Amino acid sequence: MRHGPGTPAGILAEMADGETSDTITGESASTALAYLREMSPDLRGGAILDRNGDVLAASSHPDRWREDASALLGVADRAGAEAVEQVHVATEQGEVFALRHAGLAAVAVTDRFALASLLLFDMRSVLRDLAAGGDGRAGR
Amino acid sequence: MTPPKPHRVLLDRVSGYADEAAAYMRRRRVARRPFARLYYEGGRADDHAADSVLGGELFVAAGRLIEVAGKRTKP
Repeated sequence: MRHGPGTPAGILAEMADGETSDTITGESASTALAYLREMSPDLRGGAILDRNGDVLAASSHPDRWREDASALLGVADRAGAEAVEQVHVATEQGEVFALRHAGLAAVAVTDRFALASLLLFDMRSVLRDLAAGGDGRAGR
Repeated sequence: MTPPKPHRVLLDRVSGYADEAAAYMRRRRVARRPFARLYYEGGRADDHAADSVLGGELFVAAGRLIEVAGKRTKP
């Protein structure tokens, strides 16, 4: 089934790299998100979404994270011909990071001046481990 | 050679501090300027200005996420 680019499923389905394990549970995603928060003291909140755009774990209000993360990735995808891999938006109120990897997407909101490269590295490693069937803490 | 008058020393010092402060504020303004950056596979990156249509939409979408994340709770 082909998902349109404007739908949450379509936005999150266009994953370029890797395959995702079919057995990602909400529990392992929650553990991964907690680990990400532990590693990133600037993190205010975040969410991990599957390839259908459904929230596997969120720091709060899963429905809103699903809707707003899909909106951000949807706008980002409209910028170019190919699907975006990372998004970094810095505002006066905070910074937003979104990363797609191995069929999953992670979105994080941090305080201003967060260490972007470290956070993105951590997000990527968490998603990689989750996709491989772990709980995101492979680097521990 | 006569030493500089005391008030000149004071003025020079105050001017020095003012210059430092101005430079700090300039750096801070540049560092705090909002931006929206998209990265693609292969390492390509695109910046989108806040006053562009797409940049504005990215900032609105990011603002919603910042809102839902709320304030960080201090440990």
